[in-house]
Amino acid sequence: MAEKPKVAICWLGACGGCDEAIVDLNEAILQVADQINIVLWPVALDFKYHHIEAMKDKEITLSIISGAVRNSEHEEVARLLREKSQIVLAFGACASLGGTSGLANFITKQEIFDWVYRDAPSVVNPNGTMPQTVTKMNGNTVTLPELFEHVHTLAQVIDVDYYLPGCPPPPDLIAAAINAVLTGALPPKGSTIGPRVALCDSCPRNQRKPARIEIKEIKRIHEVEANPDLCFLEQGIICMGSATRGGCGESCISVNIPCRGCGGPVPGVDDSGARFLSALASMLKAESNEDAKRVIDSIADPAGYFYRFSQPSSTLGKKPLEKATEGENV
Amino acid sequence: MAYDPNVVCFSCKFGWDYVSDNKPETKVPENRVPVVCCGKVESNHILEAFKAGADGILILACQEGDCHYQDGNFQTSKKVYLLQKVLETFGVERERVRIEMGLDPEGARVEQLVKEMKTDLSKLGPVKRF
Amino acid sequence: MWTTVAKGPAAVEAAVKQLLPPCQVQCPINEDIQRTNVLISLLPDDPALAKQGIIQIGDYLYEKNPFFAVCGYVCGLCELECNYQSKGGSIKRRLLKRFLADTYIDYLDRKEELDLIKHKENIAVVGGGPSGLMAAWHLSKRGYRVTIFEASDRLGGALWLIPRYRLPEKVLASTCENIVRLAGIDVKYNAEMGNGKLSLEKLQHEGYSAVFMAKGTPQPRALTFMGAEVEGGDLSGIEYGHTFLYEVSHGNISPNYFKGKKVVVIGGGNVAFDAARTAKRLGGDTALVCLECEDKKSKDGIPADHEEIRGAWQEGIRTIYSRGVSKIFGAGNNVSGIECPKCTQVFDDAGFNPKFDVSDTIKLDADLLIVTVGQGADRAALQKDNLLDERGRIAVDPITMQSLNREWVFIGGDLRRIGFMVDAMRDGIEAAESIERYLRGLDVREGRKWTLESQDIPLRRYYLGEPEIEWTPPEKRMHFELFEHGFTLPQAVHEARRCLTCGPCLSCKACVSVGIQNSLSEVEVNADRCSGCGVCTSICYYGAAQSKQVEGKRKSFTDTFKCKSCGMCVVACPSGARELVGDPMHARINEVYANLSGAIGG
Repeated sequence: MAEKPKVAICWLGACGGCDEAIVDLNEAILQVADQINIVLWPVALDFKYHHIEAMKDKEITLSIISGAVRNSEHEEVARLLREKSQIVLAFGACASLGGTSGLANFITKQEIFDWVYRDAPSVVNPNGTMPQTVTKMNGNTVTLPELFEHVHTLAQVIDVDYYLPGCPPPPDLIAAAINAVLTGALPPKGSTIGPRVALCDSCPRNQRKPARIEIKEIKRIHEVEANPDLCFLEQGIICMGSATRGGCGESCISVNIPCRGCGGPVPGVDDSGARFLSALASMLKAESNEDAKRVIDSIADPAGYFYRFSQPSSTLGKKPLEKATEGENV
Repeated sequence: MAYDPNVVCFSCKFGWDYVSDNKPETKVPENRVPVVCCGKVESNHILEAFKAGADGILILACQEGDCHYQDGNFQTSKKVYLLQKVLETFGVERERVRIEMGLDPEGARVEQLVKEMKTDLSKLGPVKRF
Repeated sequence: MWTTVAKGPAAVEAAVKQLLPPCQVQCPINEDIQRTNVLISLLPDDPALAKQGIIQIGDYLYEKNPFFAVCGYVCGLCELECNYQSKGGSIKRRLLKRFLADTYIDYLDRKEELDLIKHKENIAVVGGGPSGLMAAWHLSKRGYRVTIFEASDRLGGALWLIPRYRLPEKVLASTCENIVRLAGIDVKYNAEMGNGKLSLEKLQHEGYSAVFMAKGTPQPRALTFMGAEVEGGDLSGIEYGHTFLYEVSHGNISPNYFKGKKVVVIGGGNVAFDAARTAKRLGGDTALVCLECEDKKSKDGIPADHEEIRGAWQEGIRTIYSRGVSKIFGAGNNVSGIECPKCTQVFDDAGFNPKFDVSDTIKLDADLLIVTVGQGADRAALQKDNLLDERGRIAVDPITMQSLNREWVFIGGDLRRIGFMVDAMRDGIEAAESIERYLRGLDVREGRKWTLESQDIPLRRYYLGEPEIEWTPPEKRMHFELFEHGFTLPQAVHEARRCLTCGPCLSCKACVSVGIQNSLSEVEVNADRCSGCGVCTSICYYGAAQSKQVEGKRKSFTDTFKCKSCGMCVVACPSGARELVGDPMHARINEVYANLSGAIGG
């Protein structure tokens, strides 16, 4: 009897939504579960790291890793799984692009610590206690993972074979990815699983667009009652669909919410935020420079919007993992 | 040792320095990227420039209403204004991207404008590397 | 200073798909208006350097149109179709050419003769006006040995009718003289056809393989009323406008010739106004009477240019509309006045057929009458030469200029059909082509007729108003110097920059010719990446980026005839699906970024 392929599913700096998405395959999960042997799934099963450490190199067929890399535990687990796996799939926006936690890259680690442990209004910390990586108390030593200076994508830490962006990835694509591994019908290494065009291609509102989109005012989605039939851009609502890879079935658009870009860039584009910025600026119609500036000023937090899921993979945000020397304090 | 800021200059060929023996083989000054319209400068070009070591970007555009391609200079000013906001969030001061509009057939003012920008940038110091 | 290149990628390509800017469609000789407008807009501030540029631009225009300097004073048909008309005012192309002419005319006398080898047949051109000169120029360039037979003692034809205050003598004389000098064209003056001297048969016997007849229409039309010559036409003090203007152009009329005299000009065309404004400058108290009405938009509207009418009005010339002349009164042997009934209609469906209301008649005093009601050809001579059809009209193919009766005879200019100077020039160019085809045994008609399509106006945020042209005030311009102030260098550059370059790149290439680009890059759309989002169609000012339905999905594509390779769509595409193929910008950017010190890894 042929051994069932081993699959590890692990979360790093993640919210659990990606694991939830796998569970959301519903009945399909049972069929999948039947054909594979899950050897690690912290949210659902009781395997430990040492079980993985005991395996031979490349014994695991597929490691599905979600979450960004922000601390030393994430890095350790990522490297461990890489060593023991044939294929690593960066699962979800955080692993593929950095995710929403990537927005932390806009401030420093020190600023985070100062706020969380000292300056936030609800903090009561008279002694100014801060987390340490190593603490000795009562003759024992306890350790905490070290928080890195920067949020990283998975590929900035280990060699990644495939990517499946989305927050979370859509069920169709999850099933397609796992199937591809099981049947051996794999795309070239480094590919992203999913369509190769932006959302507009499959969005039902696209056919109704006017010949020229002219944005005269920008509105936030909660400020207006958006017309569910017309393109958001036409209504002055920022939708990143035109710069975002499709395949999600327009799940946000279909409930009248504009796309926020969790599918990441289309092939050939590294920084979707920058491309979208140019596109948005070009659609702004204003008579004078002052008017254009006024409309642009009305965009609350443009960097946060354009790079909501992709800061750590953007031109200015991406960084290789730089190790601090061993045993340093937080 | 004073720091010498790196300025990358994109200059529009229809508005700046088109009178000289402007054969394509002529050596272009270092750090200068002549473009047929300033509107061709992409947001990512500016981001990549900072990544590659630029301390400032100077865009030489045509005067208001004077763009050979109709409104390329207006496109640029909208794009740069929005990009400056994004750059600020990344910790890059808005003063590091500057648009200068004008008509200078012989390119006489270019060197001076780059120099002025370098002087202003030296007050800001080098770009806080990301 | 830039050096323009005209060959290779910088050469204007034949109008593929027949798409041109509207000004070039309107121009009967399809001059490269856009290209030369852009070149003017790229002239430097320094006048000495600019001069070099002007001569280069002039040389380029001169190749096809050695009359361009004259155009700068008397033409401007292109402005009637300019896309900017409805958005602030046509580009003042005529004044831009005049600006070039101001420098070029001085240089023209020093221009080097063309290096021509005339190994082909002898061609006779009858008539040394614009039509004949153009034919002679183009035939000489093709290697034919051309002889012009000019009836008078100078070249230029009907252009000499144009008063000096509109067209300076030096410009006209220098233009005509240099055409024959540079092309080595032989001219025989005082060589009139007919009267037993020159004839078509004689020309044939003397070895001319083809003849281009461009004698013009020197016969003035007589003044008629209800089909008959007007009573009193034999009194003295009646002149034809033609004759009058020719005399003035020869310098035979002294200033103040008409002082104290009441001059009435009869006619409503530009020539009538030329006569009236000339008479005014010679001291006459001048009025003008015409059949046509004041409303230029009506079918009976006065044909003269608005600028002429305005100029005449400023100079104190009264224009009396909608009046015919039924009788000429005399005092003794001299004219003393005219009787003018109301003209109720000039044209009907059949054509020129004026109707009058004789119950509404006025009398005008006049010491002198100048009759300018049109001109015609010498029909008798044409009949004798067997050039007319059975209905008495010139039998000629309007596309090829070839006579339908005698295949080695070609007819053009006013003789064939009354028109503007540039129409006559066009006939000359076409005749040269036809003669070449005829003599080389090629089909004369094939591919000659083509319809041209005009490009629309590019979009932009706002359009600029036209510049105001200064005229010397009327009280200071009662002489024959130019009254219209031309462009200075900064004004010319500014106006040329206003040109929207509506036409396709293929018919322009100005940027390539001065080295702004090596060549034009084509926009390519990667159909696999295009999501049909429509951002590109929103930003394209030229209507080049368009979308179409492909298998139920929207996809964008580029109409390469309209595309200007500006790259706006490439920058705006959120999928990076568009590319300017062969764009050197990316290589240069990479080079510069690699140079920057302290490059940071990523």
